[in-house]
Amino acid sequence: MATILVIDDSASLRQVVSIALKGAGYSVIEACDGKDALSKLDGQKINLIVSDVNMPNMDGITFVREAKKLPAYKFTPVIMLTTEAGEKMKQEGQAAGAKAWVVKPFKPEQMLAAVSKLVAP
Amino acid sequence: MNLDEALHTFVVEARELLQNMEESLLDIERGMADDDAINAIFRAAHTIKGSAGLFGLDFVVEFTHIAENVLDMVRSGELKMDGAMTALMLQVCDHLNLLVECVAREALPEAADASSGKALTDCLMQYLGSYKAAAMPVESEARVESLGGGVESGCWHISLRFGKDVLRYGMDPLSFIRYLGKMGRIVSIHILTDGVPRLSEIDPESCYLGFEISFESDADKAAIEGVFEFVREDCRIGILPPHSKIGEYLALIRELPEDEMRLGDILVECGTLTAGELEEALKIQNAGEPRPIGEVLVEQSMVQAPVVEAALEKQKQVRESRNSENSLIRVDSAKLDQLINLVGELIIVGSSASLIAQKAAMGELLEVTSTMSRMVEEVRDTALSLRMVQIGATFNRFQRVVRDVSRELGKDIRLVISGAETELDKTVVEKIGDPLTHLVRNSMDHGIESAPVREARGKPAQGTLKLNAYHDSGSIVIEVSDDGGGLNREKILKKAVEKGLVQPDAELSDKEIYQLIFEAGFSTADAVSNLSGRGVGMDVVRRNIQDLRGTIELESREGMGTTTKIRLPLTLSIIDGFLVGVGTSSYVIPLDMVVECIELDAAERESGDNGYINLRGEVLPFVRLRELFEVEGMASIRQNVVVVQYAGQRAGFVVDTLEGELQTVIKPLGRVFGGVRGIGGFTILGSGEVALILDVQRLVQQATDRELGNNALPEIASERKR
Repeated sequence: MATILVIDDSASLRQVVSIALKGAGYSVIEACDGKDALSKLDGQKINLIVSDVNMPNMDGITFVREAKKLPAYKFTPVIMLTTEAGEKMKQEGQAAGAKAWVVKPFKPEQMLAAVSKLVAP
Repeated sequence: MNLDEALHTFVVEARELLQNMEESLLDIERGMADDDAINAIFRAAHTIKGSAGLFGLDFVVEFTHIAENVLDMVRSGELKMDGAMTALMLQVCDHLNLLVECVAREALPEAADASSGKALTDCLMQYLGSYKAAAMPVESEARVESLGGGVESGCWHISLRFGKDVLRYGMDPLSFIRYLGKMGRIVSIHILTDGVPRLSEIDPESCYLGFEISFESDADKAAIEGVFEFVREDCRIGILPPHSKIGEYLALIRELPEDEMRLGDILVECGTLTAGELEEALKIQNAGEPRPIGEVLVEQSMVQAPVVEAALEKQKQVRESRNSENSLIRVDSAKLDQLINLVGELIIVGSSASLIAQKAAMGELLEVTSTMSRMVEEVRDTALSLRMVQIGATFNRFQRVVRDVSRELGKDIRLVISGAETELDKTVVEKIGDPLTHLVRNSMDHGIESAPVREARGKPAQGTLKLNAYHDSGSIVIEVSDDGGGLNREKILKKAVEKGLVQPDAELSDKEIYQLIFEAGFSTADAVSNLSGRGVGMDVVRRNIQDLRGTIELESREGMGTTTKIRLPLTLSIIDGFLVGVGTSSYVIPLDMVVECIELDAAERESGDNGYINLRGEVLPFVRLRELFEVEGMASIRQNVVVVQYAGQRAGFVVDTLEGELQTVIKPLGRVFGGVRGIGGFTILGSGEVALILDVQRLVQQATDRELGNNALPEIASERKR
């Protein structure tokens, strides 16, 4: 079973995404910001990371940059949650190693489609 | 955990975020503004929008989306977090609270709340301006979708060349192909291993594979493309629709985004050429002598000639638009002014050189100087065009004015702008704002009726105010028109008689009556309102316009509306002039106002001082410049009349000699001459002499006033005669 790490400072967003992903057969780990997420990258198997960009404590781009430094997660695909106005953010995110993105606001099924393009349950 | 619980979490979370947002806003209001506070506010809006979207709470998303965009502009420094913005954002905060409480009650917002939200949205939109065009990226996708619609049956051909680095980004080619399989049936896959290097050179982290896939599906092109969305930038993907016709390709090429692309890429993009074919063609191209890729493609019958031509055309268009985008620079306007001053001096020196050449009567010198003056003319035109700006920005400011004023007045009025791309001198654009505001407010206050009155008259309840600008023979016309009640001829006349502006038995044309509005101290408004009707408006407007060497006139149809036309010169500093002589003095008449020159024949001269001549059956009022400017000496035996036209009115100037055209730099008169009427400025001739530039507008007015003098404006006319 593929495991997905969902990082967003909104608890309700995490909950809905979790419900959707779990329903599709993925297993989900949640984190509320970049720092919290980094602490979850302790060697456990994570097949995909879904991360917001704009978060307190540590933003998504810094987090991706840090995560990519860890050998165990070097090849883990990352989906960034961007806004339509955040073209610059998108580029920064890509430079950090996050090539996939989903534009906020999104519907649960959109998130599911993006995830299943990259990882099977 | 279920969705209801999640929704509860959302409400709690949103309340907290809004609380934080409010605190940050209040901090800012107390002067403790910093980037963190602004970031926190932005993040609150951002988070609420993101979560609300997941729950399908569209009314929250829509509103927050706009607020977020404005906040984003604040964050990037495009907008300032000033008092007005903080106040607005506090309102936004309140409204969001309200919406969140609606969510908590599982109800939709009530009508009153919805309308206050609409008002807030409008406020926010004002800040966004052009930003809103880029708001939602949905449209472009819809377009691609419709393009792919030409497929009826058969197999799609998809060629994939994954980039070397895809694995490094965690993108597994296999997962995409698996996902593709969900959308239809993969008929066959051919794996291209040409890219794989020898074992000793293989980098295990790189991807070397390419795939050619035959795919059967009802999905459209956008959907298939969407599968590879995340790798599109690093990979070459060709999706070839089955049974496509040339026409479809041509349409596709024309619809391609404006990106700079190579010809091959354009063809690959529109689907007529696969990446594999392109590679092959490139190989052929590289092997032989250099020649265009298009030629190779046609020769190898990979692509039909018309498609290649369309693609080339597209390429050219893109390049042109690129070039025009890149060639904009900002220049200090003081530097431009200096340049134009220098060009002015150059014109004077140039005409001085021509004069000397004429005196010297040297053929070669004359030739050179005439070429030079032509070049100088071009330099002048180019230099002047540098100062030209579009009036659109000024017009757009009125969106806000119209909105605010219509709320103040309780009328529903919409603003229609046209001719925004019309260019005029920057100085004029800067100075036209105030008079335009007056006119717009006037139209809204007095022109457009209240909704009940409009409905009673069978007009749509919503009033329309139009701003329009266009070029008209050497001048710019700016129109402010409304579809209101129009001017009341009788009312104006009655008022004018009361104020002693006209005599009760005067017979005036509609146009003359409307012009009375511009007289000082004139107001017909029944009630003086906050906005206008204090009788100081219109004469100030006229004075402002006249300062710009322009005119203003009104057209009106009772019950149908009023149009105010402002006519302005294109530039303020350099003009083409027509030089005339009276005695020893020289005068310049702006050339674009000169209609014709005729000789004042003996009979007309004899007929003396009635002030007008018969010009081919028309009455032409005239002014003798010799008398007007009290030039000494006797009139010459032959006298000429220069017929000028300004804003539809003609008049003649009687002069001694006609000297011909010249370029003139208008130098303003010193303050000592501030009171002088009929002179717009002066200029220095090539010979070093000073020539006065006639203020044609005033003189024409004076001549025509005198024509009407017997009945219309006695006191004014007599005053001028003195």
